[in-house]
Amino acid sequence: MHIRYRWVYVLLALGILAGALVTPIIYWAEQGAANAAQYPTAPVFTSAHRSLADAIRDFFGLHPTPVQPIAYTHKVHLANGMDCTNCHANVESGPVAGIPSIKLCMMCHQAVATDKPEIKKMAALSARGEDIQWQRVYDYSPTAHVQFNHAPHVRAKVECATCHGDMRQRTVAVRTVNMDMGFCVNCHKLKKVSVECIICHF
Amino acid sequence: MERRNFLKVAAITGATTALDHCGHPDHQLIRFIPEEDLTPGVAEWKPSVCTMCPAGCGLLVRVMEGDAEVVRNGQVGLMRMGLAKKLEGNPNHPINQGKLCPRGQAGLQVTYHPDRLAHPLKRSGPRGSGQFQEISWGEAITQLVGRLAPLRSANQSASLAFVTKPIRGRRRDLMEQFLKAFGAPPGISFEAFDEAVLRRANQLSFGRPQMPTLDLARTNYIIVFGADFLGTWNSPVAQSVGYGVMRQGRAGSRGKFVMVEPRMSQTGANADEWVPARMGAEGVLALGLAHVILNQKLRPAGDMSRAGSLIKGWGEGLPEYTPQAVESRTGIPAATVTRLAREMASHAPAMAIIGGPPLAQTNGLASALAVNALTALLGSVEKPGGLLFTPLLSSSPIAEEGSRASLASFAQIQTLLEKAPGIQALLLCDANPVFSCPRSAGVREALEKIPFIASFGNFIDETSVLADLILPDHSSLESWQDNVPESGAPEGVVSLAPPALHPLHTTRAMPDVLLEVAHQLGGPMATALPFKTLEDMLRTTYGGLGGGKKHDPKEDAAAWDKIKADGGWWSAQVQPSAPLLNPVSHPPIAMTEPEFDGAEVDFPLHFLPCASQMLLDGSLAHLPWLQETPDPVSTVMWGTWVEINPKTAGQKGIKQGDVVEVKSQHGSLRAPALISPGIGPGTVAMPVGQGHEHFGRYASGRGANPLAILAPMIEPETGALAWAATRVKISRVGEGRLALFAGGLRAHPQDEGQR
Repeated sequence: MHIRYRWVYVLLALGILAGALVTPIIYWAEQGAANAAQYPTAPVFTSAHRSLADAIRDFFGLHPTPVQPIAYTHKVHLANGMDCTNCHANVESGPVAGIPSIKLCMMCHQAVATDKPEIKKMAALSARGEDIQWQRVYDYSPTAHVQFNHAPHVRAKVECATCHGDMRQRTVAVRTVNMDMGFCVNCHKLKKVSVECIICHF
Repeated sequence: MERRNFLKVAAITGATTALDHCGHPDHQLIRFIPEEDLTPGVAEWKPSVCTMCPAGCGLLVRVMEGDAEVVRNGQVGLMRMGLAKKLEGNPNHPINQGKLCPRGQAGLQVTYHPDRLAHPLKRSGPRGSGQFQEISWGEAITQLVGRLAPLRSANQSASLAFVTKPIRGRRRDLMEQFLKAFGAPPGISFEAFDEAVLRRANQLSFGRPQMPTLDLARTNYIIVFGADFLGTWNSPVAQSVGYGVMRQGRAGSRGKFVMVEPRMSQTGANADEWVPARMGAEGVLALGLAHVILNQKLRPAGDMSRAGSLIKGWGEGLPEYTPQAVESRTGIPAATVTRLAREMASHAPAMAIIGGPPLAQTNGLASALAVNALTALLGSVEKPGGLLFTPLLSSSPIAEEGSRASLASFAQIQTLLEKAPGIQALLLCDANPVFSCPRSAGVREALEKIPFIASFGNFIDETSVLADLILPDHSSLESWQDNVPESGAPEGVVSLAPPALHPLHTTRAMPDVLLEVAHQLGGPMATALPFKTLEDMLRTTYGGLGGGKKHDPKEDAAAWDKIKADGGWWSAQVQPSAPLLNPVSHPPIAMTEPEFDGAEVDFPLHFLPCASQMLLDGSLAHLPWLQETPDPVSTVMWGTWVEINPKTAGQKGIKQGDVVEVKSQHGSLRAPALISPGIGPGTVAMPVGQGHEHFGRYASGRGANPLAILAPMIEPETGALAWAATRVKISRVGEGRLALFAGGLRAHPQDEGQR
């Protein structure tokens, strides 16, 4: 690289240094905001973010792949004849599809595949009375005030895979679709459904 | 540098900020396995019963799944559970008919209060220091059994005392059966503003030792002596609903409402005519009105009702109570007395009601009998538009309540204090006599000496801070609730509801704890209380209600399910409980002059503590929603005030907000002044509720407690505390501030000259 002015080298060095240090700085900031980070839902609505890292991610619209505590695989379960609604049961009756509690998993896994290490991990959790801390994959920035309701979509026979991707090939869920407002509105327009602000933002 | 390179570098730097520290479970609280299976995002309305005041209104609780931070087995974590989001009145409940007062709304804050006791505690420091350490339930019950069993074996069962806030229904019966089987005296029911005087008067006048139900919706004239019936007295929501119909629910008719009180209350501010009779002379005014009606034959003669026969001179037309005599004793012009009497006699149905300060005098019972006689004379007892009594279920021992109900709280506490040196164990349940009794009664000093004190309440307050052992109850939304309200509806009512929520903390239902203790104590205790839980007891008692006489199990089960779903059972078919209690013979009374503590020359002003609209008697001061709700008349929030007439204030150089010292013969306190034209120059008033020392973060160290400086004057027949019979003097201490939502009270310019 041919750089004309020496001060640019200094700036570049500082920039790289900052980039390298951002990881530990953000981690430190997160530790400092540890209290905030513990609460997945704030007691009152606030546009403040739980940590500096969260704020940066929200600003850039980044959704890094979360780390799930148990290496769940949709592929295996669906191949064994299960269906989306066996576990995400509330999708027809309410706004939230829901992730089942460990009680549902243990119904089968107290007997099925009990030698696998991940199942053993889960059994240990269940014996301690703890539930699995599934990490959210799909969500919206709270400041967008989006209230998505699954039930009318399911009633309208929108396939789960339309938004969530084909889970038959996946282990854990990842964002397969760029679920921004344009994605929703396009489909609404195609299906000739209301695009009034208030049906989603309230 | 070239732009392209710069942009490359910037992009790389920017990208390194996108770390995936998000979505990592390591930094999060652990999550417990949920105890319930709820549909997320969908709310359910469940029935419950309000316990904020004794009225017993029916509630609907909006429950929705959410995350709560809980402690299980000593670990903090999150749990998905049904959370209460909002309380509303139950539209089908006959008492409140879908409405709910602000205190009921604030009940939501009890369950999630940060100061709520979450697990059993054992005292770890000196008594009253507030130092406790956490113990397990097993340990707590073992300790309790360990203190009670020796009393039985040493034949000292009678040295157990139980003090509770007034409760009705099966909870109360369970407690009484526990004490009876143990061999201890009956439980003491304590509240600051108890109604023993009125119940006794109703027993004498009408044979019903019970609070009255007012048929306001169909009445044409009410004259109210001191009763804050739209705010804090009796069954405020039921009365407010009826009042609304009286004033706006009947085309072309508003009725007339006359209020007789020494100080403008929220209720009095609604009156068409406001009559400031001298304190303690309300009964004289009532008899003056009766005199006019009797002598001018405005009502059918020969109405020698039982209520009238209790008044000396009734048969002769009350010769001592001419309008002129009444004027000199009450300060109300004779012409007014005559006019009011004519109005009420010609606007049937009309009724007279008494409650609050007039009963809190040494002649309170006499005043109540006088007002009852007036209502009877107007022909409005058990008639539409008049005063009636809610039928109480006769099959249950609740009918015995009558005899219990007439025992005044203060008298019971004084008896307890006399026996205190012999008391070995004291059990407390949400009663706070240390706060609510005058300091001169020495409640704290006497209770401190009792060897063992255990409390079931779910907050630390001035009385439970003295406990050695705390076994916290569930909050009311987490418990089986039942209540048999004594007033508020023309039909018999049982309010009953299963818990609306799973317990948030490691608490246990008090009735279930008593049952477990009974089983562990064994012998006659276990046989007297064969139930495992309160739910069992409720199902056994009420399971047959509405199921018909045949007791078909399937019908009964369906009926039980219906009661639970409705939030109770009510029917006009309930017969009035056991024939009216046999008339108790009582010599006819004369209206005596009230006695006041403190010589007038030294203590020139009457002192009037008032039940606070939001905080009632102080038992709700820990709820911030109630602290921040402005008092409806003065708009003061978060504090205490002393209401002073502008003339009196002017004489002492007191301005709005100035800190004033109020001194009685038994103590003094300081609070900011509120200048009010709604109180006479010879009286000062203060709301009750603040002045707590140990009641959580929102109530402690705030304001002053007027009950503390009261003189221990009593109404002689019932032993009730005459809390309006103290005289005080005031002096300005310095500048201060009042937190007022709106500017304060100002006299209308036209009235200035008359005040």
